[in-house]
Amino acid sequence: MSRCLLTLSLLFGAVFVVGAWIPLKAMLAQELLTLAWAETQARQQPARPWPWADTWPVARLDLGPGTEPLIVLEGVHGESLAFGPGRLAGATREGPIIIAGHRDTHFDALEHLKAGNLLRLQDQAGSWTDYEVTRIRIADSREEGIELDAMAPDSLLLVTCFPFDSLASDGPLRYLVEARVRPPLPLNLASGGGIADAGF
Amino acid sequence: MFFTSVSRDTGTSISRTRTVSRAQPTPVKLRKLLEGVSLWLLVALFLSLHPVYAEATERGEETAGALYFGEPGSRGEQATLLSADYQVTVSGLIAETRLRQSFSNAGQNWREAIYVFPLPEQASVYSLKMRAGERVIEGEIQTRQEAATQYETAKAESRQAATVAQERPNLFTTRLANIPPGEEITVEIRYQQAVRYQSGEFELRLPTTLTPRYMPGAPQVADAPDNWRQGWAMPTTQVADADAISPFTVLPDDLPPGSHQASISLELYTGLPIASVLSPSHSLQSTWDGDTVRVTPTEGAVPMNRDMIVRWLPVRGEAPSAAVFHERWQGEDYLLALLVPGVERGGRLARELVFVIDTSGSMAGESIRQAQAALMRGLDTLGPDDTFNIIQFSHSARSLFPSAHPASAPNLNQAQAYVRGLTADGGTEMAPALARALAAGKERSGRVRQVVFITDGAVGNEAALFQQIEQELGESRLFTVGIGAAPNLHFMREAARFGRGTYTAITDLTTMAKPLEDLFGKMQAPVLTDLSVAWPDDIQSEALPQRPGDLFLGEPLIQVVRGQAAEGKLVMSGRLAGGQNWQQSLDLTSAAPGQGLHRYWARQKINGLLDRSVVTKAAGESPSGTRTEDQVTELGLKYQLVTPYTSFVAVDKTPRREADEPLDAEPVPTLLPKGSAPAMLRYPQTATGAPALMMTGALGGLLCGLLALVRRRTRT
Repeated sequence: MSRCLLTLSLLFGAVFVVGAWIPLKAMLAQELLTLAWAETQARQQPARPWPWADTWPVARLDLGPGTEPLIVLEGVHGESLAFGPGRLAGATREGPIIIAGHRDTHFDALEHLKAGNLLRLQDQAGSWTDYEVTRIRIADSREEGIELDAMAPDSLLLVTCFPFDSLASDGPLRYLVEARVRPPLPLNLASGGGIADAGF
Repeated sequence: MFFTSVSRDTGTSISRTRTVSRAQPTPVKLRKLLEGVSLWLLVALFLSLHPVYAEATERGEETAGALYFGEPGSRGEQATLLSADYQVTVSGLIAETRLRQSFSNAGQNWREAIYVFPLPEQASVYSLKMRAGERVIEGEIQTRQEAATQYETAKAESRQAATVAQERPNLFTTRLANIPPGEEITVEIRYQQAVRYQSGEFELRLPTTLTPRYMPGAPQVADAPDNWRQGWAMPTTQVADADAISPFTVLPDDLPPGSHQASISLELYTGLPIASVLSPSHSLQSTWDGDTVRVTPTEGAVPMNRDMIVRWLPVRGEAPSAAVFHERWQGEDYLLALLVPGVERGGRLARELVFVIDTSGSMAGESIRQAQAALMRGLDTLGPDDTFNIIQFSHSARSLFPSAHPASAPNLNQAQAYVRGLTADGGTEMAPALARALAAGKERSGRVRQVVFITDGAVGNEAALFQQIEQELGESRLFTVGIGAAPNLHFMREAARFGRGTYTAITDLTTMAKPLEDLFGKMQAPVLTDLSVAWPDDIQSEALPQRPGDLFLGEPLIQVVRGQAAEGKLVMSGRLAGGQNWQQSLDLTSAAPGQGLHRYWARQKINGLLDRSVVTKAAGESPSGTRTEDQVTELGLKYQLVTPYTSFVAVDKTPRREADEPLDAEPVPTLLPKGSAPAMLRYPQTATGAPALMMTGALGGLLCGLLALVRRRTRT
């Protein structure tokens, strides 16, 4: 009986650890990716974070105060999303940028974003672009797709699953954070006290 | 954080149960130590096991990331799998294709598959069969309304049914109701198309996917809920059926393996010795058997992400300059005549060339590079006497010069720099660009005015644009150049026809030289205008097309007629560019037997009727609108063809599905054309199984801990 109990508890322990490994891996991977991102910027060409990876860092995303900047990977297949938010393949430099992430790892902070919040995105060249959250909405993925033509070319769309505390991993709802490039502030304002103080 | 706190709790509860289960009274210090050690051991064990586990989960995560057609609360069921089989038989100038679309249901529920697919422009669909296991059900032609009603009734009564309807001349929808779980149903469609013959070369195109179209106009929000197809574009004021012609386009990785594969085989019985068979799109394997050639792609099944183009050349010196085919159908004669005017290249004419280039979002990727290269080539053909201009359009139209400038070296340099700087972005508002390109042609400049329109034709409001071309054309000629792996050929060809020019399709950068050379060569060559055709039995009204367009070098004149017996002489006449008259005759007694000519005739007739209704509607003479519908319906029913007003429907007699079992409707996506950037994407799957796994583990661990505690209590 006690052996049975031991086996059972080990089994559940294993299940738990398997579950816990996913967010842990997501966290650890970001550390490795930071190195790869530094290399990408230094060499100005994509660097794979580890030799067998089928994805590579393409940008760095700052979700605002209280969060660590995230390294964004190419593609939204299972492997890239496990390690970091993924840029939806096909979103070109000129067009809108679409980034998707797991709601229970990297993009759990999306829940706290509000319209007007500042997001920042760093490109390969190292320059940061400021985005301002314009709208947050919930979409049903069974009923609509992402229409690139309908989006402004300077927009940024963050996609994650909804609701945030759901246990099902294949729900149809998506939480969408829409943001637009924030025009650079007039010089006198910007020099006056930084973005946070400028009344936005 | 929720997870971290739980993990600490259960971490200890696991180790506690371990130490407890030994049932030995241990000092507290030692127990704490053991707890710590066992926790670390577990972590170490896990890390060493991770590579094995990772392999297993990567697959698991892949399925989580892949795009499935899930229902709420289900475990993400796979999409309906699609495979297509094209068997093409070419005899003479007509190609008949048997297309089998197999839908297999890999899910647990009964399904309805809805699949929007492209056919060659001008394709005549004339047969539908549904095969489910051993049973074969023949489809019948009905009016569109009646077919839809029969289909919906059968669907509601749990009977299997299939229907094929036309959305655009090159866009059709298959609906298939009540596919049982785990089974496959095949829809067999037969259609015919005309083979293109130009400059001594035959060409056949098999489209397998479509470029997502831009829908101009504001959304019609009022009736949106009724017209919503899952995830498809909404109807707009200019494109009322936007939802019906824009299926999801997906990338190959987003589909279950094995789906969207086409097997293709062609048999060419042309009656001429064939020298070679080529394809710019696929690598082909051809076997000769006398005059018959069998052609298949070398790789077997091909992904349905681009048009397949097959070209064949007759043996040198045997390229036909004329052909006549004859068929008797239901007691009536049908004749198809082809004549290549033996006109030699003449002197140069001073021209005004306007290049219009599409820089909309749908052109992004490979397409814009092709378009730029095509434009560069066009600039190279300009002579010193010519003038030119470049207009680019996306949301709005912009031009290089305010009006056409002479093709001097500085102007050409400026134009080349302008072309290199083009980027693709935004919508496809063609109307303003067309207006600007054609406007200058209203005044006579003494030059031959030619407009080269370079686009993928990814628009939904074709009819309105045809109207505009017809009205504003003036003395100009409009030439369309189709770009990309799957251009909207219907738009290209019809726009060129309304514009009294030609269309040219280019598919990739490496093979674009020849078609463009042909096109620009043709544009420099003299044209044959004011064509007229005289049949011996004087039945001009039954000959189609009614008003043959201008002919360019290497182009044949094709006429199809009803009620003309294979005797007498056909006389064609026209005017050469220099103003001289031209005449040529063709002996009809040498006609070879042909197939499907009656359908070809009916299709031409229907196109003519529909074109006329487009134009008369524009002129405000609307009363003929309803009569067109009646005439087309009548023709469709008589000749058994799918038209905008007639559809095929095949309905099973016996119900297959138990009434209480659910039926899920599922739009089957089409593959994104190779090389183009996606315009409409599915949302990715963005959650992991982590919370569920951790919750299970934590609850189970707690339960075990509780059990152990209870056991210890009872023992002491």
